[in-house]
Amino acid sequence: MSVSDATTALTEALAARDDMIVCEGVNKWFGDFQALDEISAVIKEREVVVVLGPSGSGKSTWIRCINRLEVHQEGRIVVDGIELSNDLRNIEKIRSEVGMVFQQFNLFPHLTVLDNITLAPIWVRKKPKRESDDTARSLLERVGIPEQAEKYPGQLSGGQQQRVAIARALAMEPRIMLFDEPTSALDPEMIKEVLDVMKELARSGMTMMVVTHEMGFAREVADRVIFMEEGQIVETGTPEHFFTDPREERTKLFLSQIL
Amino acid sequence: MADTRAAAETAERGGAEDAQAVEALPPEQPGLPPSEWIRKNLFSSPFNSVLTVAFGLLALLIVRGLLNFTFSEERNWDAVRTNLRLIFTHAYPEEQYSRIWVCVGTIAVLAGLSVGLAAAETARRGVSVRKLSSSLVAMGATVALGVVLREPSALTDIEGRVRRDDSGIMRESFAEAMTDRWAWWLAAAVLASAGAALWFGFGDERRRETYVRPVELFMVGSAVLVLSGWIYPWGHYAFADGEFIAEPGRTVAMSTKLPWTVIWLLLAAAIAAGRSMRRAGAGPNFTLALNLCWLACPFVLYWVVLRDPDLDWGRVLSVDIPLGVLFAALGGAVLWLLTDQRIGELGRIIATLLMGVAVLNWVAGFFGWYPMLQKVRLSFLLVALAALVAHNFAGERSKRLRLLAVWVALMAVFHYMATLMNSPSTVETPTEALIGGFSVTLIVASFTLLFSFPLGVMLALARTSRLPIFRVMSTSFIEVVRGVPLITILLFFAVMLQLFLPDGMSISLIAAATLGYTLFSAAYLAENVRGGLQSIRRGQYEASDAVGLTAMQRTLFIVLPQALRVSIPPLVGQVIATFKETSLLAVIGAFDLLRMANNVIPSQTQFLGVKREGLLFVCLVYWVFAYAMSKHSQRLEKRLGVGER
Ligand SMILES: Nc1ncnc2c1ncn2[C@@H]1O[C@H](COP(=O)(O)OP(=O)(O)O)[C@@H](O)[C@H]1O
Ligand SMILES: [Mg+2]
Repeated sequence: MSVSDATTALTEALAARDDMIVCEGVNKWFGDFQALDEISAVIKEREVVVVLGPSGSGKSTWIRCINRLEVHQEGRIVVDGIELSNDLRNIEKIRSEVGMVFQQFNLFPHLTVLDNITLAPIWVRKKPKRESDDTARSLLERVGIPEQAEKYPGQLSGGQQQRVAIARALAMEPRIMLFDEPTSALDPEMIKEVLDVMKELARSGMTMMVVTHEMGFAREVADRVIFMEEGQIVETGTPEHFFTDPREERTKLFLSQIL
Repeated sequence: MADTRAAAETAERGGAEDAQAVEALPPEQPGLPPSEWIRKNLFSSPFNSVLTVAFGLLALLIVRGLLNFTFSEERNWDAVRTNLRLIFTHAYPEEQYSRIWVCVGTIAVLAGLSVGLAAAETARRGVSVRKLSSSLVAMGATVALGVVLREPSALTDIEGRVRRDDSGIMRESFAEAMTDRWAWWLAAAVLASAGAALWFGFGDERRRETYVRPVELFMVGSAVLVLSGWIYPWGHYAFADGEFIAEPGRTVAMSTKLPWTVIWLLLAAAIAAGRSMRRAGAGPNFTLALNLCWLACPFVLYWVVLRDPDLDWGRVLSVDIPLGVLFAALGGAVLWLLTDQRIGELGRIIATLLMGVAVLNWVAGFFGWYPMLQKVRLSFLLVALAALVAHNFAGERSKRLRLLAVWVALMAVFHYMATLMNSPSTVETPTEALIGGFSVTLIVASFTLLFSFPLGVMLALARTSRLPIFRVMSTSFIEVVRGVPLITILLFFAVMLQLFLPDGMSISLIAAATLGYTLFSAAYLAENVRGGLQSIRRGQYEASDAVGLTAMQRTLFIVLPQALRVSIPPLVGQVIATFKETSLLAVIGAFDLLRMANNVIPSQTQFLGVKREGLLFVCLVYWVFAYAMSKHSQRLEKRLGVGER
C-alpha cells in the first residue's frame, strides 16, 4: 500500500466518523516567528467550539488556516473529509463548505446588501438568480433585517453589517461557520443583536468555531472551549470546567485578567 | 427619498464626507450684503487692502492688454472666420459635408439621452436663480468694463488702412470710442437687465430655492447662438489661394444655420426623451445599451459615416460573412461546452489546446509557414481566450445563453468592422488623410481613450499580479514608456513603425500616432489604476476568497469596480491630458487643429503670416472642451460616490 493510499484510507476513516475539522500537528511560521505550534484538535459535527486566548496567540491564524486564507507549513488539516493541499479544486470545495465571518465585516461596499449575499451563490454555486434572491431574502429575515436588502453596506449600522456578513456566509449553505472576533469591532449596544443571531445558528445545529472575548456567549452556547497561548493549545474543556475549575496556571491567569 | 434618509444615518455615524454626495443640497443661505462682503474679504486689514488694490490693478492691466490685442486693427480675424471649415475638418470635401452633420447629430443625440437619463434626482441641483441673476449682472458689468478699458480704435482711411502720424497710430477720441461701441453697450445692458429682471421677478425666498440646471443654461445659450445665425451672417466669405472658402455670397453662418438648428432640436428632443425614459423607470439595461452605443460611436462614425466604405459584395458574401458565421458558431459551441458545470478537467484541456493552436497561428504567420487572414488569426485568438475564461461564467441555462449572445454580438461587430476597415473609402480628399483639423484631434483622442483604457487596466492588474512574468513585463513596459518623452514615441511610431510591419501592410500616419498615444496613455493610466488597486483593503480579497470566488471573478466583480471608482479623478485628468497632447500631431506632420493655425492658414496667400489669431482661437477651442470635460468629471464623481461606504 502506497503512502497516498494510506492517506486516502485514513482520510476516509476520519470522514466516516462525524469529525468536521481535524487538525494534526499543525505548524505555521511567519518568517522566523512560529505562529502555530503543533496544533491538534478535532471538532465534531454540530459542535460549537469557542477559541479563547490573549491577543497575538494565533487564534486568527489558526481559523484562517482552516479555510486556507493562510497556508500551514506542517501537519494536516482535514475539513469535512477533504484534506487541505495546494490542489486548487480542494480549496474551491473547502471554501464552499466553510463560511467565514470577519471582525471587520468585509462587506463589498459597492454592492447592495442583496447583491453582497447573492454574488457567490450565483457565480460559485451557479444558482439561478431568482432562487438566490429568494434565499437571500429569507436569510435576511433570519438575521432580522429583511427591510435592508436594497441598501448599501455603508448605510447600515455595524451590527446590521455584521448580520449581513453572516447571511452572506450562510447563503453558500456551508457545513461549518468560522467566526473571527465577530463582535470586537461593534459598539456595545450592537453586540447582543449579533450574538443572538449566532446563538440561533448554534441551536440550529451548525458546526461553529468562534474566536471571541464574549464569555457569556462561551458559557451559554459553547460545547467546548479551547484556550490558546503563544501558538499552542494550552487547555481544552467544557465551559463549566473551563470557567470554574481550570487546570493550567496560564489559563487561570488569563481568566483572572478578563473576568 | 430613501437615499436621503440613509445618508442622514450615515452622517450621524460619522461618515459625513461620503454622505455629502447623496444628500440634497440645503437651500442657499442668505449671503452677506455686498458692502459687508467686500469689507470682510477684500479690505480686512491695511495689508490686505494693499494686496487687493495692487493685484486688482495688475488684473485690469492684463485684461486691457488682452482686449487691445484681440480687437487691435492689426488683427486679421478674417483669417479665422474664413477658414472655419479648414480648422474643423481640413480638406474633407464640401459636397460630402452632410456626413459631418450626421456625425455631430449622432453625438448630440447620444449626449442628450445620457444627460436626460442621468438628470439629478433632487430638485436642488445646479445654479440658483439668485446666483444666476447676479452672474448675469456681473457679466454685463464685465462687458461694460471691457468697453471702457480697451484703448480707442485706430482711425482708418477709406481703403481700411490704419492712419499714422508722427506720434504713431492715430486714434479716435475716448468719447468717440465710447459712442462707437454702442453695440457692446447694448450687449452689456441686455445682460445686466436680464439679470435684474430675474432678480426682481422672483421673491427673495424663491430666488434662493429655484434652481436652474446646467443643461438648461446650456440649451438656452446654444439656442441664442443658433438663432443668431438666422439673423446675423456670422463668418466671412472669401477666396483663399484662388478658391472659395464658403460659397459666394454665403458665410459660415448662412451655410451652417440649418444643420445647427436641426442638431439643436435633436439635442433638445433627446434630452426630453432621456428624461421621460428615466421617469418611466428605464432600467440599467437601457443605460448599458446607451453606453454600448457610445463605445461603438467612434468606430461607426469614422469607418462607416465619414469614410463611406466601398464594399466588394462578391467578397463580402463569399468570404467575410461565412467567416463571421463560422467563428460565431465555433466560439459559441466552445463556450456552450465549457460553461457546462459537468465538464471539469476536460474543459481546461480543451481551452489549453485551443490557445496552443491560436499561438501557433501567429508563430506560423511570423515565419510564413502557412497563409491566413489576419482576422482569422485574431478571431481564433478570441475563441481561445474566451475558452480560457469560460469556466468563471458557468451557470444556469439562461446565463449561458446570455454569454452566447454576447459572443455572437462580439463576433458580428468584430467581423463587420474588419470588413469595413479592409474596404477602401469612397470619399475623395486631396490630402493623404481623410479628415483633419479639430476632427482629427477628436478622432485620435477618442480612439486613444478607447484602446488605452482596457490596456491600462490590464497593465495595472499585471503589475500587481502574483505571477512574476506578468509583473516584470508590465513593470518594464510602464517604466520604459514613462521614461521616454511622448513626442519621441510619436516620432518613433510615425517613422519606424512602417519598417516593422510585415510586407504589404501599411499604416497611416494617424493610425501610427494613435498607437503611440495609446501605449503612452496606457502606461500612465495603469499607474492611476494601480493606485486604485492599492487602496482596496485586504479584507475585500479575503472576503472574496472566503466565499469561494475565483481570482478572475474576484477581480471583475469586487476589485476593479472599487479600484476604478477611486481612480476616476486621475483617470479623467489623464483623458484631458491626452486630448490636449493630440496637438503634438502637428509636430509629426499630421494636419490637426494646431497645424491649421500654425502652418496652414499663415501660408495662404491671402493671410500670409497671419498666425496669432488662429492660435488664440485654437487655445479657445481646446480650453472649452478641456473645461467641459473636467466639469463633467466632477459631476461623474459625485454620482458614482452614491452607495460607497
Ligand atoms: N501576515 C502576518 N505576517 C507576519 N506575522 C503575522 C501575520 N499574521 C499574524 N502574524 C503574527 O502571528 C501572531 C498571531 O497572530 P493572530 O493569529 O492574528 O493572533 P490573535 O488572532 O490570536 O490575536 C501574532 O504575533 C502576529 O503578529
Ligand atoms: Mg485575531
